[in-house]
Amino acid sequence: MAWTVLLSFKSNAALMADSGAAFAPPWTLENYAAILQGSLTLQWLANSLIVATGATIGVLVLSSLAGYGFARLEFPFRRSLFVIVLLGLAVPEQAVILPRHQLFAWAGLHNSYPGLILPSLTGSFGVFFMTQYFRAIPKELDEAALLDGASRFTLFWKVLLPLTWPAQATLGVFTFLAAWNDYWWPLISATTSDYFTLTVGLASAQMNYAQTSGLGFLMAQAVFASIPILVVYIAFQKQIVRAMAGTAVR
Amino acid sequence: MRLPLPGLDLIDVCKSYGDVPVLERVSLSVAPREFIAFLGPSGSGKSTLLRIIAGLETADSGEVWLDGERIDPLAPGARGIAMVFQHYALYPHMTVRENMAFGLVNAKVPKDEITRRIAQAADILEIGAQLDKKPGQMSGGQRQRVAIGRAIVKQPRLFLLDEPLSNLDAALRGRTRVELAQLRQRVDAALIMVTHDQAEAMTLADRIVILDNCCIQQVGTPAEVYARPANAFVARFVGSPPMAMLPGVIAGAEGGRVQVRLAEGMMLATAVPAGGLVAGTEIEVGLRPEHVRLAAPGTSGAAAEVELVERLGDRTFIYARLAGGAEIIALEPGFGTVRPGDAAALVIDGEAAHIFTAGGAAHHPEPRG
Repeated sequence: MAWTVLLSFKSNAALMADSGAAFAPPWTLENYAAILQGSLTLQWLANSLIVATGATIGVLVLSSLAGYGFARLEFPFRRSLFVIVLLGLAVPEQAVILPRHQLFAWAGLHNSYPGLILPSLTGSFGVFFMTQYFRAIPKELDEAALLDGASRFTLFWKVLLPLTWPAQATLGVFTFLAAWNDYWWPLISATTSDYFTLTVGLASAQMNYAQTSGLGFLMAQAVFASIPILVVYIAFQKQIVRAMAGTAVR
Repeated sequence: MRLPLPGLDLIDVCKSYGDVPVLERVSLSVAPREFIAFLGPSGSGKSTLLRIIAGLETADSGEVWLDGERIDPLAPGARGIAMVFQHYALYPHMTVRENMAFGLVNAKVPKDEITRRIAQAADILEIGAQLDKKPGQMSGGQRQRVAIGRAIVKQPRLFLLDEPLSNLDAALRGRTRVELAQLRQRVDAALIMVTHDQAEAMTLADRIVILDNCCIQQVGTPAEVYARPANAFVARFVGSPPMAMLPGVIAGAEGGRVQVRLAEGMMLATAVPAGGLVAGTEIEVGLRPEHVRLAAPGTSGAAAEVELVERLGDRTFIYARLAGGAEIIALEPGFGTVRPGDAAALVIDGEAAHIFTAGGAAHHPEPRG
């Protein structure tokens, strides 16, 4: 990482001459300036934020509701449906990407935010994850709330959902990162540069022979694209660790 | 048809899980402000019965009435019942104050009334300083009080307590038992407590409901269930250590009272009225430890071998086996010197013996004059 950061502050020309030059001045901001000068870079950044945030909110809402349903409600075919959700975990994106492309083309969803966000919402990991989390919450709490006169919705919204906060944070961070880093689907779905996400956009802006003649620029791109992710990680560090340790509900 | 009265009425409540019956035609009346304990072994259905009253389980058939209102079709929150859960079930993300307010907010009680009730309950339970803490920051005993507080502020018509003391250590349990007894004086509602600890039931309850095998075996005051157990199950279940059961045969009657021949060949003159007991009937003789003692040195008694000695300081229980093989328990005051393996002579107070026939029906001794 230090290597990447250091290289990003060197001019392309200096690196062409001697890649070992990274450790010595002069350092320069010209690579970052070049990124921001790309007329669409800020648009791509905004696109990535919109897509990643949209995917995160969508996954959290759907997974929480579905997880609560699977964990707590009685309805026909509950077990079979849950098995189908589990099977969904085993389906790789590669297997569905062609039909999905066809479907989105038919629906006119390519080159749109919904087109970029919707595929993230179909993953079953979130549903599985939240179901397990809801199941771990003692049923006595539901019963206490029912005796306290809570409606089903009050029980979900005021008692159970707040207790899943650590899981929400973890799932949210993972979803955000996955959506942010996704390259393949935006590459397929967004064909006009207005709808490029940052990953696709930056890649499209790379010069030929970037690995050799544009090394500093390449590194600056990598650093630039990682900053939002670092922010997310640092902001939610505590929740992630706590959820991983599995001590959230006590 | 019975007319439901103030208080709680259960009428023919039945419940089964699949093919497994849990409760069969259970009927019970609880007076207003009465403290009832449901006592029974694990799986006797006592918790299920409590949950049916609370509305957390639905009975297959039967009716539940509270103060003249049929409540079994109502949602749990609409029954005017508060419950203290075994594991407290406090909302972990809410402060103590919010925990106590939750039910009242749902019931749309005005804000200043909520504040007033919480302050009052906190005062009674001495948790005023903890109102802004979360349950995770409190000890088990304090959480227990919050759980009780959450029940009190609702001013329910009926309190349900599910094994309220089982999560506390021995010292705290004793103290909380006293506090529950005090609480009972302060609240204007009936209390039903589920427990498998007979000491809890005996010390706290006005009446004990003993459940086993899907049915109520006996309802009575602590003194009644101890002194006049309705059947052999209750006799064995209540009392610690339990009543010893010695096999025997009705030998005849003398003065209208039954004479029993124990399997050892020993004759026992009981104070049980002879009516209905025919000579030759095989029976069991029930004897509490306090009615069996070691014979004084040099005097005679039933020969037995000591198997186990339980010294509690102020008294000693001696578990012995009679010559015929039956187990018997004797009580000695103080710190006994008898040891396992010793031969002992036991004096049995036949006039305190109970007789249980094969069906389990009980025949009690006449009260001593």
